[in-house]
Amino acid sequence: MGETASDEVRAVAEATGSQDPEVGLAAVAALRGLVEVLEALQVERARAKGWSWPQVAARLGVSKQAVHKKYAGRRFGLGR
Amino acid sequence: MVAGSAQVRRVVELAGDEAARFGHRYLGPEHLLLGMLRDSGGPAATILQAQGVDLEAARAALGRLVERGVVPGPRPSDAELLGSLGIDLEAVRRRTERAFGAQALGWATREATRARRRGVGRVPRTPLQDPPLLATQALYLAHERARTLGRQLGAELLLLGVLDDITTPWPRCYNNRWMRQLHASVGLAEGYRGVVGPLLAALGADPGGLRDAVLAALGGDLQQGRSGR
Repeated sequence: MGETASDEVRAVAEATGSQDPEVGLAAVAALRGLVEVLEALQVERARAKGWSWPQVAARLGVSKQAVHKKYAGRRFGLGR
Repeated sequence: MVAGSAQVRRVVELAGDEAARFGHRYLGPEHLLLGMLRDSGGPAATILQAQGVDLEAARAALGRLVERGVVPGPRPSDAELLGSLGIDLEAVRRRTERAFGAQALGWATREATRARRRGVGRVPRTPLQDPPLLATQALYLAHERARTLGRQLGAELLLLGVLDDITTPWPRCYNNRWMRQLHASVGLAEGYRGVVGPLLAALGADPGGLRDAVLAALGGDLQQGRSGR
């Protein structure tokens, strides 16, 4: 029950694939949402293990200022 | 996801089913209404049916609103979208939860969607969350009614909240850039504030009459409760 619309959508998605910007862009947005969560988890773990901001930034391929601006002061279990 | 009695949680769960049935990737007050009707024999369903609103008619009416473009048509779920890229969302969720724990995953989800993270990689939502709940004002109004009537939140009060929501403008905090992005990301038109009003109009039901019916049912309950003591 309740899978009719979903089946329809899946069929459309499979038929058009990422050729259709409607599906392709939405897939990219979903992927970005996933990436942001995984990045937060990995940065948090690296910091908890004593990694410095420049070390974290180097692995992510961004400047240390960028990663610091994004994550400084938002430690899991702290400052919330 | 939503606090309240088992009855309310069941309605919200059924509402989620109804949203998925329409391929909607959000949970709005209109889905709550369908959820109440799904809970046949429940207090809200009984009141709605007595006023001539039944599940099949309500589903058909929402279908017509989809055709008119008032609410979006079926859209692929995040799992389907990521599947089209060859990514198994459930596998990612499972592995991440095993590596980091559910608590850390919850924190990271809030962190990624956090309002204070201006411009630096904030996303309106992530595939690791439930579909966004866009019926928060209806739930708030239901809680307010429960408080003023001195009752526990039940399905009939939820119905009252959904009806009150039609005539109560959403607060200004709903009209910010992030809320607009969130609405757009699930395919809703700008200015969406729930479509229970148009839905009931399509069914030929009067919200005022429904509200009176709920209050009458609640009043009867209250009197019975008092005489029983």
